[in-house]
Amino acid sequence: MKPVSLKYYTLRYFSVIIPLVIALWAASFYWLIVDEVYDNIDDGLKDTELRIKDEITKNPKLLKTNEFGLAKFKFTELNPGDYEYKRHIYNAQMYMEYDGDDEPIRMLQSIFQFNGKNYQLEIYASTIEEDEFAFNLFLSLAGLYFILVASMVLLNHFVLKKVWKPFYSLMDQMGSYKLGEKNRIDASPGRISEFAELETGINEMIERSEKIYLSQKQFIENASHELQTPIAIMGNKLEMMLTDENMNENQLSRISELLQDLSRLKKLNKSLLKLSKIENTQYNEVSVQNFNRLTHEIFDELNELYAEKGLKTEIREDGIFEFEMNPELSNILLGNLIRNAFIHCPTDGNIQIHITETQLEIKNSGDSALDADRIFERFYRNSKSSKSSGLGLAMVKSIVHNYPNLSVGYRFENQHIFWLRKR
Amino acid sequence: MKILIVEDETEMAKTIETSLEQSGYRVETAADFRTALDKIISFQYDCILLDIGLPDGSGLDLLKELKTMKKDDAVIIISAKDSVDDKIKGLEFGADDYLAKPFHLAELNARIKSVIRRKNRQEDEFLNYKNLAVDFENRLVKINDKELTLNRKEFDLLYFFLTNPGRLIAKTSIAEYVWGDHAEDSDSLDFVYSQIKNLRKKLQQNGAEIEIQSIYGAGYKLI
Repeated sequence: MKPVSLKYYTLRYFSVIIPLVIALWAASFYWLIVDEVYDNIDDGLKDTELRIKDEITKNPKLLKTNEFGLAKFKFTELNPGDYEYKRHIYNAQMYMEYDGDDEPIRMLQSIFQFNGKNYQLEIYASTIEEDEFAFNLFLSLAGLYFILVASMVLLNHFVLKKVWKPFYSLMDQMGSYKLGEKNRIDASPGRISEFAELETGINEMIERSEKIYLSQKQFIENASHELQTPIAIMGNKLEMMLTDENMNENQLSRISELLQDLSRLKKLNKSLLKLSKIENTQYNEVSVQNFNRLTHEIFDELNELYAEKGLKTEIREDGIFEFEMNPELSNILLGNLIRNAFIHCPTDGNIQIHITETQLEIKNSGDSALDADRIFERFYRNSKSSKSSGLGLAMVKSIVHNYPNLSVGYRFENQHIFWLRKR
Repeated sequence: MKILIVEDETEMAKTIETSLEQSGYRVETAADFRTALDKIISFQYDCILLDIGLPDGSGLDLLKELKTMKKDDAVIIISAKDSVDDKIKGLEFGADDYLAKPFHLAELNARIKSVIRRKNRQEDEFLNYKNLAVDFENRLVKINDKELTLNRKEFDLLYFFLTNPGRLIAKTSIAEYVWGDHAEDSDSLDFVYSQIKNLRKKLQQNGAEIEIQSIYGAGYKLI
């Protein structure tokens, strides 16, 4: 199920619960009111009964009232017999002329003896129309429901929005948070203790991860630094063995192979060291770098080195690309990008570099696109080639990461294109 | 020729020492700042290999001492810190060259020869070997006084061999010397082979008495 926003989630619950509560409340309210109303009417009827009975002792003619008229009561003389003298109140219907319909009434029926004769006294009072009352109640409750829901929506919209503001700000900041940038979350939680706690909790978590991240980075740098010396000693000893006159060709060839493996280890370690130095931002000195000049230098060098490959290479310049950065980093950045093209370009392929004022594109022949999402990852290699350390482009990415106004990317348009752009 | 190795890693110092002795140098070692300072004050060296990170001080301070004593021993910094900043600082303090660890002994040989040659200006500018004369500063090669045109990489190769005569040099050492930072590609070894082939051809065609011999599978040797 697709998650809904906090606002609608609470609203959904309320819109279900409120009608239930209102219905329950309406039923008991209705029952209470009706009970109270009947109680009231009954008291009135009983009072009238007493007054009438009082009155007949003074004016026995009243007993002749045997039709409901103005007085809303009547007497009926009962046949002689044994009667239980008691009062009885009940609901009934009576035809009312004013609206030509039966209307609900409350009827008091009392049997009593007067001067040795039995009479039945009936008094009525018109009561509320229950169905109309129920309907009106329903209408007003429905109104109440809509008003409640509407105010809930408004509450959600304005009050909750205000109340949850720190939360949303927190969420925003969490989204843009990047490990290693040492930023703290500030949600300005105001007086809401839960948000203040959440903020503290998150900041503590960030601090812990930052610490771990930092020590890990430091560890990689220290480890590769410490590895340098044993690698150096090993290499030098192997080299010394090569100069030993007692070695036969087979042994020499083995040693040379060992030296090649060691050389790979050495380069890998150097790259790791450089990479962690870049990530630990140890290159602070900056000056304006002319990428055109740098490109020519690297390009010429590589053209000479890769002469055997028979590549067709070209630099097109439509502007001067200048950028203020650390000279060593600009060298690594361009060197890795351009070397990458030379390494992976097939024999007799093409390499083109196109420089404008804001962009530098390096294109080289190739038949299928690389995974643009993963190509800048550490140790990501196209399965076909194991020529490189797998750190060159990762280094490019880390360098660019240090300069917010620089971006780098890859796309495939019948050839591989790496671009470097000023923002 | 006398060389001082200032290096606290004894294993490292020992190997360098043996290698340099094989190349005909007289070598002394110092494992800490104090010993190094004593030796620098008492003796004159043609070249000092200086490690920056010493247990009781910085190699850079030794460099400063040298300058205040107005000694002109050639100095090559050998440092595990491979950074341009360090290099610039070292060179500003008066070092003649900077070599990042780990390095190849053959390369160290080449660098030592270069700095010593640069220091001893009074000598002949040319490095002579058999009927070959090479001027590194001006990148000139002469065979029997006839100039030989080489491209940059071929010159680097030849110079590398000439500074390590008679020594078997591993393919990787050559690749890293010639290719520098670009040697990451494994193709570099194949390309070294073809560059050596070209160089050999040029040397042969121009009547050079030297020969670059390939030792199967292992590397090359100048004889």
